[in-house]
Amino acid sequence: MNSKLRQHVLTPYAFLGPSVVILGVFFLAAMVQVLYYSFTRYTAFDPPEWVGLDNYRRLLASDRFWICLLNTGAYLLVTPVLMALSLGAAMVIESGLKWAKGLRLVLFLPVVTPTIVAAVAWTAMLRQDDGLINAALRGIGLEGVGWLTERPWTLVSAMLVTLWKGFGFYMMIFLAGLMSVPKELKEAASLDGAGRLGVFRHVVLPALWPVLTLVFIVSSISALKVFEELYVTVKGTPIEHQTVVPLIYTTAFEKGEYGMASAIGITLFVIILAFSLVNLRLSQKREDA
Amino acid sequence: MTPRPLWLSGWLYAWAVLLAVLAVGPAVWLVMIALQPAGTDLLSLDGWKKGLTLANFKGAWEQGQLAGPLLNSVLVTGSRAFLNVFLAALAAYPLARMQFRGRGLILVVILATMMIPEQVIVVPMFQTIVSMGLVDSLVAVVIPFSVSAFGIFMCRQAFMAIPPSLEEAARIDGANSWQVWWNVMVPLSAPTLATLALFSVIGAWSELLWPLVVLQSQEQYTLPVAVNQLLGDFATNVRLAYAGSVLALIPIIVLFLMSQRFLKPEMFGGAVKG
Repeated sequence: MNSKLRQHVLTPYAFLGPSVVILGVFFLAAMVQVLYYSFTRYTAFDPPEWVGLDNYRRLLASDRFWICLLNTGAYLLVTPVLMALSLGAAMVIESGLKWAKGLRLVLFLPVVTPTIVAAVAWTAMLRQDDGLINAALRGIGLEGVGWLTERPWTLVSAMLVTLWKGFGFYMMIFLAGLMSVPKELKEAASLDGAGRLGVFRHVVLPALWPVLTLVFIVSSISALKVFEELYVTVKGTPIEHQTVVPLIYTTAFEKGEYGMASAIGITLFVIILAFSLVNLRLSQKREDA
Repeated sequence: MTPRPLWLSGWLYAWAVLLAVLAVGPAVWLVMIALQPAGTDLLSLDGWKKGLTLANFKGAWEQGQLAGPLLNSVLVTGSRAFLNVFLAALAAYPLARMQFRGRGLILVVILATMMIPEQVIVVPMFQTIVSMGLVDSLVAVVIPFSVSAFGIFMCRQAFMAIPPSLEEAARIDGANSWQVWWNVMVPLSAPTLATLALFSVIGAWSELLWPLVVLQSQEQYTLPVAVNQLLGDFATNVRLAYAGSVLALIPIIVLFLMSQRFLKPEMFGGAVKG
């Protein structure tokens, strides 16, 4: 292409400059800094002072950390439900009902809703004494539960918010996947005598496999990073009802222990990284097979 | 395929209705609570008989002083959306179409930032903002998130789909790189850029963690931070806090309904592959 010859040597860097500076300063450099801080005693009152693995040692000995980590692990339970719900919604829309486009729009509304508003709407329904959900439970003769105050219901409540706010987003990804399955393939399978279930199992599902893997990884990572749903939904509960990111927030910005918060951050980063790598490897193996 | 049997259609419609109710139910219930006079039991729908009231909305607006946060949120969301599209589209052009030294390295660096969660680096990010003297300013809310690797890759994908012959024709007519970018690349990828803008708006309007960290004085609060404050202040008169939440919801829903034609599944497919 002769067009390339006519461009100034510095032109590409001028185009890239602002973005690279911003991402470099605020993300890349910050990652190096957080790693360094994690090896220091660093508080709101004292500058960083090298202490080696001290923060990590204290972390491993801290019950609060382990409980939050366990809660983060439990929060991953939201992923399969989220996937089933969003894939189901995508299939209902793709089946070509009347109003499918309108339904798609309506199901995307929770995605647009600010997380804090979503959390407030759910807390309104989950209140122990005058919430809609406990009223319904009592209506069918069950006891109401302390959705916003008792473990494990506090986690379940936050997960409901994540589920509600998130399924419309993954639904769109699944829709894109479903729409790219060739019609001829489905028709051929159908002509060969496959029923609806057979077509789904032998044509649609294999074609959807990469999308399923991707949604699994993306939604799991965002479950590991959950903050706002918990921060708002179970406001005021002790840290034992929270996950790792709220712990980072409390440690750093309420207690002013920056070094410790950084060590928790690095631990979370390693977990997320390991999780993504293992899943990618597994999905590649499955594709090769 | 054979026509759908009746039971299956019924089943699909039942699911459609259920999902729709699930999607709008919680927000509708929130609005209903906020529309009823203060004090009454949250479960009672007496308000329907006694007459609904906008008093909670008025109270939240005045006592919560939401006018400032609304303006701040509009400013933050607007500038973040603009910068996200502008900077990402700029960065994507050389990555899609030019050969230059360090191209591979820059691609890797940008990709790497995608793997770094904001939640992990919030401490040093805050320190950087402190050292820049930007704490408690709207600029601090905007700058770190004024461009994203996700946006850059989304634009790059769109640019790579534009036939090179169009670019060459513009070059032959004497256009330089900037003119090609502005007159060819940007207009031809307008739907992608609009979708990116919509994503940025939705994200920026909702964000709580980062503004909560960098903003300190009430005058600088964005709406989510103000609503968070409202939840604490009106713990005993929740209808007011709920009305405030609804006020934070209305602008984004209106904007979304006006721009929903940019919401196409294909864009999500592209984003995924990006």
